[in-house]
Amino acid sequence: MTYFSEHYVTILLTILYVGGCLYIGWYFKKKASQGVEGYYVAKREIPGWVISLAFFSTSASTNTYIGQAGKSFQYGLSWAWMGLIWTVFCIISWQLLGPKMRFQTARLKSFTIPDYFHLRYKSELAKSIRVLSAVIILFATLWYMIGIAKGCAHVLTSVLDIPYEYGSFAIIAITCAYTIWGGMYSVLWTDAIQGIIMFGVAILMLAIPFIYVGGPDNLLEAIRTTEHLTKSGVPIKSGLVTFGELVSFLYILGIGLSIGMKQLSEPKNLIRFYSIDNVKSMRFAMIWTPVFLGISLVCVMGLGALVHSMATPDEAAYLIQHTDEVIGFMLAKFDNELVSGICVAGLFAAGMSSLASVIIIIGTAFVKDIWHVIKPMPQHKIVPRTKWFMALYCLLVYVLTLYPMAGIVELTAFAGAVFAASFFPAIFGGLYLKWGTDLGAMTSMIAGMFVNIIWRFAIRFEYDALKDVHEIIPAFIVSMMTYVVVSLWSRKRAPDAAHLALVFGVSKKA
Amino acid sequence: MDFFTLFPYIGILILVIINAALVLRRKVTIDESNHTPEH
Repeated sequence: MTYFSEHYVTILLTILYVGGCLYIGWYFKKKASQGVEGYYVAKREIPGWVISLAFFSTSASTNTYIGQAGKSFQYGLSWAWMGLIWTVFCIISWQLLGPKMRFQTARLKSFTIPDYFHLRYKSELAKSIRVLSAVIILFATLWYMIGIAKGCAHVLTSVLDIPYEYGSFAIIAITCAYTIWGGMYSVLWTDAIQGIIMFGVAILMLAIPFIYVGGPDNLLEAIRTTEHLTKSGVPIKSGLVTFGELVSFLYILGIGLSIGMKQLSEPKNLIRFYSIDNVKSMRFAMIWTPVFLGISLVCVMGLGALVHSMATPDEAAYLIQHTDEVIGFMLAKFDNELVSGICVAGLFAAGMSSLASVIIIIGTAFVKDIWHVIKPMPQHKIVPRTKWFMALYCLLVYVLTLYPMAGIVELTAFAGAVFAASFFPAIFGGLYLKWGTDLGAMTSMIAGMFVNIIWRFAIRFEYDALKDVHEIIPAFIVSMMTYVVVSLWSRKRAPDAAHLALVFGVSKKA
Repeated sequence: MDFFTLFPYIGILILVIINAALVLRRKVTIDESNHTPEH
């Protein structure tokens, strides 16, 4: 009884939130099961505001709201540059890829990122690119899902004392259920609701230190100079508010680029472009997605630095070594059951929106881009088999979440870098370069993966000067150059003029 | 607080305003035709 009286607000809010997600999944069940186009891309009939919020919520995860926010406790307000860099890539993604991708994928009747490669480059080799990219998705996504499920389960353990194994099961089972029921419809609509919650929570969390210390003047006074120690035991003094004093700008740039660039190539982001309903919606999403993402990120990224104003020197000495616990500390110190409940709902929203987005990606990649390519199946069997595969894959993720391997966070980041370097040139070239070829796409993917591995395991940590240069940067450059050079060299392999006219032809304008 | 530490907070606002102006000025084209999936 004591347990419920202590946690009733958080439990009530969590039940409301989870119930809402499940209801959305159930509501779209019938509509989503009517065909592949409905289940995979929501018949390209989703309003712009939904797509915009869904893009934002899937781009930020639990790690952003806990891990990245906590980092500024160690690095100071300079860490807010991460939010700015991330937003720059969000804008590039929408300006450069959004309209073109929606245009071409509708014309080609493409429903997944791997099948775009096949339909755009149109050859036997392109079919292999489709299978290879689906395999990359299955591999890279596994670690990502484990990382997210693990983070959410830890939140449940620390806030509601729910054992880790039950918490991870609940997160995976609930997300899997509404994704399987409603397909892309429920993924996008729940993502939009989650986006609204996340936006509100980012602003609410920023307000907490200000309220706790009694206003902006007191807060700035407290962080302007502090006797709290850095990780290496030196007094921070004015480091929290001095650019580049606690962390090098090159490091911020490296991590910012590695995370930001993923918005240009991760299937969970790009698939959002497929479902937008019309030109007006596209314009809305192009304008508002960077607003939602940018404001949330600058609120969250500098938050840890502000938490110094709430901590005693002893507490700060502990937190500087455990930055993942900074947000939990802030909520506990503020000690308001309603605020904690809302913030926990926001953290779940961040985790579940990312999880649902990748569950549908792995289901469609395996069934449509591997199984259906190797052994074609009747159309009516594609959706049911996608649902079964998603359920089985979630079971595998749950088992691996119970026994997470060491270095899962690093592996997740590495897998993301593989995506970015491998997919972007083939996508960009497909959208813009008529002379881009299947051979260019295939070799650029292989080069991207290869450079990622070599740089990470044989170069980056061998030389001090290069340790801040994330593998995504050289891999991206080499992969892009490979695409251009090989495509020019194999120009004759470019699809015929009729196909290119279909891909690049002009339709309605606004 | 120095200029570069403060910049992301101002920079975001400038960035989204420039982006909105660019979107409003450019021609956006998407294919809105109905079609039946075949593959």
